[in-house]
Amino acid sequence: MVLYLLVLFICLIYLGLDCITIINESLVKMVMNGVFVLALIPMINTGIGMNFGLPIGISAGLIGMLLAIQFRLTGFLGFMTAVIVGSLVAIIFGYIYALLINRLKGNEEIVGIFAGLSFIPIMNIFYSGAPFTNRQMLYPVGSKGLRPKINLENYFKGILDNFMIINIGKVRIPFGMLLFYAMICLAIYLLFKSKLGVGMKAVAQNENFAKLSGIDINKTRTISVIVSMVIAAIGICVYSESYGFVQLYDGPLSVAFPTISAILIGGATRKKATVLNAIIGTYLFQTTFLISVPVANEFLIPQLSEITRMIVTNGILLYAFLYEGKNNSESL
Amino acid sequence: MSIVLKAEGIIKKFREVYALKNINFELREGEIHGIVGANGSGKSTFLNILFGDAVINSSGGFKGNVYIEGNLVNINNSKAAIKAGIGMVHQEFALINDMDVASNVKLTRENIYTPTAILSEEFSYVDKRNNYFQTEKIMDELGIEVDINTKVNNLPVGLKQFVEIARELDKQNLKVLMLDEPTASLNKEASKALINVLKKISEKGTSIIFISHRLDEVIELCDKVSVFRDGEIVSSYKKEEFNIEKISTDMIGQSVVKVDKKKNTIKSKEKVLSFNNVFVKDGHRVYKDISLDIYKGEILGITSLAGHGQSIFSYGIMGLYEMDGDVIYKDEKLNLKNTQSIIKKGIVMLPEDRKELGLLLQDSIEDNIIFTACHSKNKFVNKHIFKSLAFLDKKKIAICAEKYVTEFNIKCSSKRQLVKELSGGNQQKVCMARALATEPEVLFIGEPTRGIDVYSKELILKMLVDINDVNETTIVVASSEVEELKRVCDRIVVMYEGKIFDIFSPEEDDEVLSMAISGKRREVNREN
Repeated sequence: MVLYLLVLFICLIYLGLDCITIINESLVKMVMNGVFVLALIPMINTGIGMNFGLPIGISAGLIGMLLAIQFRLTGFLGFMTAVIVGSLVAIIFGYIYALLINRLKGNEEIVGIFAGLSFIPIMNIFYSGAPFTNRQMLYPVGSKGLRPKINLENYFKGILDNFMIINIGKVRIPFGMLLFYAMICLAIYLLFKSKLGVGMKAVAQNENFAKLSGIDINKTRTISVIVSMVIAAIGICVYSESYGFVQLYDGPLSVAFPTISAILIGGATRKKATVLNAIIGTYLFQTTFLISVPVANEFLIPQLSEITRMIVTNGILLYAFLYEGKNNSESL
Repeated sequence: MSIVLKAEGIIKKFREVYALKNINFELREGEIHGIVGANGSGKSTFLNILFGDAVINSSGGFKGNVYIEGNLVNINNSKAAIKAGIGMVHQEFALINDMDVASNVKLTRENIYTPTAILSEEFSYVDKRNNYFQTEKIMDELGIEVDINTKVNNLPVGLKQFVEIARELDKQNLKVLMLDEPTASLNKEASKALINVLKKISEKGTSIIFISHRLDEVIELCDKVSVFRDGEIVSSYKKEEFNIEKISTDMIGQSVVKVDKKKNTIKSKEKVLSFNNVFVKDGHRVYKDISLDIYKGEILGITSLAGHGQSIFSYGIMGLYEMDGDVIYKDEKLNLKNTQSIIKKGIVMLPEDRKELGLLLQDSIEDNIIFTACHSKNKFVNKHIFKSLAFLDKKKIAICAEKYVTEFNIKCSSKRQLVKELSGGNQQKVCMARALATEPEVLFIGEPTRGIDVYSKELILKMLVDINDVNETTIVVASSEVEELKRVCDRIVVMYEGKIFDIFSPEEDDEVLSMAISGKRREVNREN
């Protein structure tokens, strides 16, 4: 992967494209998508596997943002309201999702995929029927139901992106954004150094052992799912403020797969992931996309970049599962 | 008798460590050759080499030559070994649970209807009747009564072992049968049956290599014994020269002092834990109306044949089996649905299945030792507003782990070494340290000496007695080793068919106990 990235970089320089812009953008992109990747860590380390149910947490974050927009809260106030309300909703969603997952132990990943898929239509009904009154978020015609893309221009677009910018020459470091990201990283790191976190890891490794040591398995799993959902909710807030739009309806569906690919690239397995895995994975994955688009456009037909994107995302998922399967079959 | 198998100059290294140093080994036709040795002495490695196990090949192969009937053979995988006429019965069963006995025995060697031109051998129809017929014949020869139509997972452990042996015997060219601790998971009765079967097999001319920790079995069964120590054969004995003490001294390089608890005649009659008419369910096995009182400060032994219920108390109280009814701990009824609250009250259990339930194999010794104490009693943590988010107190942990490592003499490179790298005996010590760190009031322990060599066995037993003595911990030992229970326990409970058969004093005759285990009383003698 690193090699591929290097080749792309060389192509970039060869083609005379603007490296600095790419680097600037890569940092923003990392945080934009990185929070989602961090959201995977708690569940992986508790042995629940990849959180394919990510869209559920994202929906919670969306509700938070919708409320902030409804009450016309702008700037930091708006963003923080979105984050806090989103987190609260995520706790409720996470709890319900955990109930489901604790009943279907062993099949969490498949259950997650379908839970995510079936939850989205429910949310779609909510979006089209909910009694929001802010004209800027409703369909321009008929003024009923939320529009698929809500512009955040007047609310909190780029609030983190442009917070505490440090310019070194042409390189533009979004310090505030990185700080926000670092804080979440630190929180997760500390969580797994605490008693609760150690317990979570033990549950992943040997459930019955943990039980015999007096750990409430289901409670631990529930907490881990909730933490994951809350971070996912924060993630969508960060993503949206950076992207500039709130994407409703089927938007959240497209998040889970690339996110999981990213953490796998970073070296995580289905039972163990560290914060470092998430950071490295996100950076490599997002930057590859970022660069491959102009390079592919330059060399090949423009549509190909989108195709490459799909191949990389899904190919890595497949590779990670294959790699794990190979290790298992060798040990037999 | 001609030599069937000859191994010459076998050397095997795992990374930089020698597992086997220059082993020379000969096996004659129809001979039963016993291999004994402490844990980690290289017995299993030797068998794995002869059977071409994948572990050997993936860790760099071995040096030396193996001859079968005088011909040099190149065994680099199990297929080659089977072709050369070597069969192996593993310590862990290699059976397909969802198939019936006959299919397991005949797997890959099924009888088939004549293949047609279109359908090759692979696709031709399996002749089930003939399979059953042949399997029945083998079972008859072995003298085992088993319904060959039952699925393997419905069989008791003892019979599964025989299915494995039958499968090996069914191979037409079988010359050498190797058994790696076949009796470890069997009780006395089944072991005896196994030994008889093995004798029969050897009379027919098949040679047997037999590994076991139980020296009395080895001596009864084998024609020759080789003692392994640190990857070398230190001595070999013929049947006439057998001597248990000599063999066990050779195994360890020093003599074993047997533990014997001084029996406390005065015991408090204070009940610490009582089960009143409890109901226990383990899968489809149901135990009803079971009552047992456990007194404070005693060591209580529980023994039974496999599947007769020796572990229901410990597994039940910890919620691994479904348990219902009145369980009174210190005049207080326990909520059996809430395992955490029970552990918090000071009842700790070390399961018999150490590797599966008793250890975090991927973690270090230190982490294992403090784990239960940390999570059940909130020890080794710093203060924090939210209890569960508190960080671990590294200093306290280091001191505690250091203390147990030196006190129990756990052999390791450091206390940060991973538990999976330790030998069985040392793993058990880590388990014991883990339980002790919680300062338990009642300690349940299952099969404390299973799979552990003679020397470590005595250490573990001594630890149990010491814990009981110093901390006045009540200990409940569930074990099938009656001889050990007699040495350490104050009372011995014998279970039969899911009921408490009787409670004996440890001074009771061996004979009475072993009869009780199989459900018979010595009524006649008492009347006299």
